Amino acid sequence: MASTQTLLSPAELAYLHSSLSLTPPIRPDGRSSTQFRPLVAETGILPGTNGSARICFADGTEAIVGVKAEVERTKSALTTTEDETVHRLEGEFVEGLAGAGGNSAGNIDEEDNDGLEGQNEWVELSVEIPGYRDDDSGTVFLSALLTEALLADGNLTKKLRINTRFHWKLYLDILLISPPLSYPLPLLSLTTHLALLSTRLPRLKSEGDEDPFFDDDWAAAPYLYPRENGTSGKATLRPPISLLVMAVGNNIIFDPAKEELAVADVALAVSIGDGKDNNSNAMDTDTRNLRLLSVRTIDPPSRLTPPGVPNATNTAYGAAAGTTAQKQPEARAAESEAVEGVWKPPRGGAKPLVMAALVQKVLEKGGVTDEVLDALDAVELE
Amino acid sequence: MASLKRSLDRDPLAASISSKVYVRSTKSGKVQKIVREVYLRRDIPCSSKLCQSCLQAAPRDAAGRPIPFVLSDKPAGTSKFPQGHYLVPDTNAFLNAMDLFEQASAFYDVVVLQVVLEEVRNRSLPLYNRLISLTKSEEKRFYVFFNEFRLETHVARLEGESVNDRNDRAVRKATKWYSEHLARTKAKKVPAVVMLSNDRDNLRKARDEGIPACSMSEYVKQLKDGDRLLDLIPESEEGEFTKEKRTGENLYPEYFTMSKMMTGVKAGLLHQGTFNVSPYNYLEGSIRVPAFPKSLIILGRENINRAIDGDLVVVEILPKDQWKSPSTKVIEEDAVTKNENPDAEVGEDFVSEKERKALQEEVKRTQSKTTEGHAQPTAKVVGVIKRNWRQYVGHIDQSSVSQSGQGRKQDTVFVIPMDKKIPKIRLRTRQVAELVGKRILVAIDAWDRGSRHPSGHFIRSLGELETKAAETEALLLEYDVQYRPFPKTVLDCLPQEGHGWKVPESTDDAGWRDRADLRDLLICSIDPIGCQDIDDALHSRPLPNGNVEVGVHIADVSHFVKPNNAMDMEASVRGTTVYLVDKRIDMLPMLLGTDLCSLKPYVERYAFSVIWELSPDADIVNVRFTKSVIKSREAFSYEQAQLRVDDASQQDELTLSIRTLLELSKKLKQRRIEAGALSLSSPEVKVQMESETSDPIDVKTKEHLATMSLVEEFMLLANTTVAAKIYDAFPQTAILRRHGAPPKTNFDELANQLKVKKGMELSIESSRALADSLDTCVDPKEPFFNTLIRIMATRCMMAAEYFCSGTQAYDDFRHYGLASEIYTHFTSPIRRYADLVAHRQLAAAIEYEPVHPSVRSRGRLEAVCKNINVRHRNAQLAGRASIAYYVGQSLRGKATEEDGFVIKIFSNGFVVLVPRFGIESLIRLRDIAEPEPEATFDAENYVLTTAGSREVRVELFQKVRVKVTDQKDEATGKRGVKMELIRTL
Repeated sequence: MASTQTLLSPAELAYLHSSLSLTPPIRPDGRSSTQFRPLVAETGILPGTNGSARICFADGTEAIVGVKAEVERTKSALTTTEDETVHRLEGEFVEGLAGAGGNSAGNIDEEDNDGLEGQNEWVELSVEIPGYRDDDSGTVFLSALLTEALLADGNLTKKLRINTRFHWKLYLDILLISPPLSYPLPLLSLTTHLALLSTRLPRLKSEGDEDPFFDDDWAAAPYLYPRENGTSGKATLRPPISLLVMAVGNNIIFDPAKEELAVADVALAVSIGDGKDNNSNAMDTDTRNLRLLSVRTIDPPSRLTPPGVPNATNTAYGAAAGTTAQKQPEARAAESEAVEGVWKPPRGGAKPLVMAALVQKVLEKGGVTDEVLDALDAVELE
Repeated sequence: MASLKRSLDRDPLAASISSKVYVRSTKSGKVQKIVREVYLRRDIPCSSKLCQSCLQAAPRDAAGRPIPFVLSDKPAGTSKFPQGHYLVPDTNAFLNAMDLFEQASAFYDVVVLQVVLEEVRNRSLPLYNRLISLTKSEEKRFYVFFNEFRLETHVARLEGESVNDRNDRAVRKATKWYSEHLARTKAKKVPAVVMLSNDRDNLRKARDEGIPACSMSEYVKQLKDGDRLLDLIPESEEGEFTKEKRTGENLYPEYFTMSKMMTGVKAGLLHQGTFNVSPYNYLEGSIRVPAFPKSLIILGRENINRAIDGDLVVVEILPKDQWKSPSTKVIEEDAVTKNENPDAEVGEDFVSEKERKALQEEVKRTQSKTTEGHAQPTAKVVGVIKRNWRQYVGHIDQSSVSQSGQGRKQDTVFVIPMDKKIPKIRLRTRQVAELVGKRILVAIDAWDRGSRHPSGHFIRSLGELETKAAETEALLLEYDVQYRPFPKTVLDCLPQEGHGWKVPESTDDAGWRDRADLRDLLICSIDPIGCQDIDDALHSRPLPNGNVEVGVHIADVSHFVKPNNAMDMEASVRGTTVYLVDKRIDMLPMLLGTDLCSLKPYVERYAFSVIWELSPDADIVNVRFTKSVIKSREAFSYEQAQLRVDDASQQDELTLSIRTLLELSKKLKQRRIEAGALSLSSPEVKVQMESETSDPIDVKTKEHLATMSLVEEFMLLANTTVAAKIYDAFPQTAILRRHGAPPKTNFDELANQLKVKKGMELSIESSRALADSLDTCVDPKEPFFNTLIRIMATRCMMAAEYFCSGTQAYDDFRHYGLASEIYTHFTSPIRRYADLVAHRQLAAAIEYEPVHPSVRSRGRLEAVCKNINVRHRNAQLAGRASIAYYVGQSLRGKATEEDGFVIKIFSNGFVVLVPRFGIESLIRLRDIAEPEPEATFDAENYVLTTAGSREVRVELFQKVRVKVTDQKDEATGKRGVKMELIRTL
């Protein structure tokens, strides 16, 4: 997908590129550089799942995400061997016998902290893009990107831990249900974000390291990402989102449409966590504490576009027909200097300064990310 | 973007669609969210005969006929609702007081809401089944109203509302709808619709909403025989209102949570098993778990922790320094807790001083000689997986009845169950005066941590103690014998002709298909005197080649009882015919058992025949199986047959053939004994009754005649032959009978006793070795000694059981007692269901009839085996108990001196077996002399020596002279055999 060919002529590309390079840039759909395409979102659309969401972008792309959870036995090798578990259980029973009544589970947790960490295998994610095989490099890259973002800060997997012996395994099924009109990363990421926000897991009734035993009342099931006050408030901690940002010249453009991406100098997928860190002041609930989780460069389709031919080398315009050049006009043209108004695909990597500016812009307080998250907050959950 | 969710406002049908979401945890540990759509309808009828509109709208059956309505148009009234009423009980009403609803005097016209029915099913399956059978009974008029599917009564759960609150609201809404709906019928007298609940909050809300509502006891008081019915309201229920001042600390430790127990059991830290109480010591229980070779001992009230005999419990092993050997002391609940006051719960020591003393001596003894080998692991109960409470027969402990208050006040009394293993039950009743001295049926409701004894409620009275009817019914109830008359559906399966049924005359008739005509053979039957259900008959005749043809003919019950009809179902539930001294409870209706199937003499009958060709040495040359028609020439009793054989002047063909059979049977028996068959023994007696009044007049030990073993040998031969045949035809599903080799540890005690007392060795490597060593256990001075050892050895054996061949390896098919590789029951289909199944399998094996699915479905057969094993055991126990009761009755008012043998010895008493009556009884030291003599107990040598008020030395296997009387214990109202030691011999 990243390499989806856009059927634009070099002249059109050159036009787009120069209008996006203006300050302020002029985007084909008239948005400002930080403006997102309007979207419609809803959650709880799939009653059989633990959490689900659907988002529709104004360009007609649409995605559905369903989250299913299963109880799984934690592989003993990472935390404790089976023997140790038995010993631990024995300890617990003896303690119960003595009638100490202390919180034995607490003691155990302190003893080995690594037991509290989740494991990355506990989240399994599958992406389906219509018209593409699931082992298509683009699809695989997308799912790797989304997985990376979800797992980056370990907050999600930590929540999946039930006790030292059991955990939830989360299956995320991410479906694009429209043709991939534009690069679907932001759409899929936002839908996943919403789906995870609406995800609920059955309430645990057993204690400590017992075999888990759950409340059969679905209404009592707590949210995976707990709310401030019961079920209605905002989530205190939120799943990460990944945004697509691109740079043309010195301009940074958010949520690029397909045509815009076709002329990008650099395209980045930036994953941001809404981290209420341990050390951040908990009282400060209004401002978010955005944290950068990962940055990935996306190979923009602009690299594969055919270059324009400057008049100077165009034989049709009376240029001297060189002997070798005539045989391989493209090859020669590629080597040629940039000519104003003639399309030339970007070459080389992103400039560090541009990268820094991009990231800066994304993490800006009160900036685009905040705006997006605010908008998502407004989506009613179930 | 249109939402994908169902838009509730635009869809015109939206109102009739709802959904239900819940979490389901599967056995394998999966946890799933389940969403069910609910389609609401308007045509679910109220089922009141008053209502015309529902009748028109209600769905009809396939033939287009309306389904008849259930609720009466003239329901009964109460003092508060004189216009008549329908009842709408909530879940707890059913859970707590199912006995009330089953009463015949009240509780008619009841609306069982779907929400209530489902909740009852989740909470208790047995109660659910009882409720379902109530809804099926026509006279009780219970109607299941599917309120969750009726548009008007469907209730969606509100935000933040608990499931219980929602269900209560659903009950109220349905009640309200019913009254509004009935009001529209314009009947002259519109019945009130009354909600029954014990939830105070629910009652208050109902009254606020103007719905007539009553608590259980309020309602029962409005009824005519309210006082009697009030007793049926269980304890806990009353508690909800009176909210006991029970602040006293809890007497018992709390149970673990279910998940904690399951985790512990899986990790091997806790153990799960069935709790059994020792018959001699009510404070000692044992539990057999797979992890230990010996059973675990549970000692003392606190460790037993409210478990009752038969419960499935989880136990925790106690540290090794607390392990003990099983008690050698008799502790009886009646004696220890005699004068307890049932009302006083608080301020009483949990483990009473007496109990503590009784147990302490125990501990002292075990600590004084810490014989490592003897100590058995001890455990304590930490939780109950499944209560196995049933209804118990008992009587009120007279000493617990307070003398002061008569009249209609509620009293608390103790009920002493007939089964000694069940603890006393605390019962609150208003009819103490009427119930004292009666056999009563009670149910246990609960046993909470704060109460020393379980609490229960009264169900019904069986009649005066010691009347024949009451005692017999008590017996049948205790052993769970189905004694109700056969229902009509079963009787409908009998042949139309009734007693006039005959074998068709024409051999072209369908009944003759594939049947051999054996009417010419000289067949006769030999049975006990007065036998009416004759299962088997025999014949023999010489063959020209010098061999002998021998036939065993068994009643062809499977011809009359077809698989899976109502009669077959009933028989499979009953499993066996139960023989009591004065009564027989049949497995099959009388018509079949004593007439059409019974191989009566002089008439033609269908039979299933096994015919061997035997060499003169009783080797099987060949065998064939066939359905047949026979005509028995004579029905002998064992005695008649014996006389005829012994009478040399009788030279007719029939007598000759019996003699041939007798010769062959001796050879068969010899061969069996050589193979290691055990000759075991149990004290068997026969009660002789006066024919008119059926009062017992005498007790006789059973005699053994050669003709008995004649029949026995050929039946064994038939069973083994058939077993091999059906196993060959159905290797996975043949119904067989096995008798496991007893574990070595079972004989430890007996072997040690023999060694210490008599210097005899008991070898148990194989059944042959055991049989041989039992033969050597002879005391030349005491002919009965050998039988005594055989009786005791029998008690060390495993119980034989039916099984389905696919569930065991071939090596485990062995019948230990009979030393047979494979065995089944084939010869008594009239009185045993297993035989009937074997008949069907054999018929299929010889291709007489196609295989019916039910005889080759392994799951079905396993269920059948499980049931008949239980029934079989219960039938035996009931039979024995019945004999014991009549032996007691025959001794009434007489005192006889008899010889007895000491078979078990405790530190404060010993058990004596009197062979003459086949009874055993405990003689306690305190019965020997007054005051109780000092005693020293030598456990190593099994000797109890008393000193002081009377000096006796009692040892195991000793012959003693005892005085046998019947005695009525004034405190308990129980009549039993009492033995007094006269002298040792």
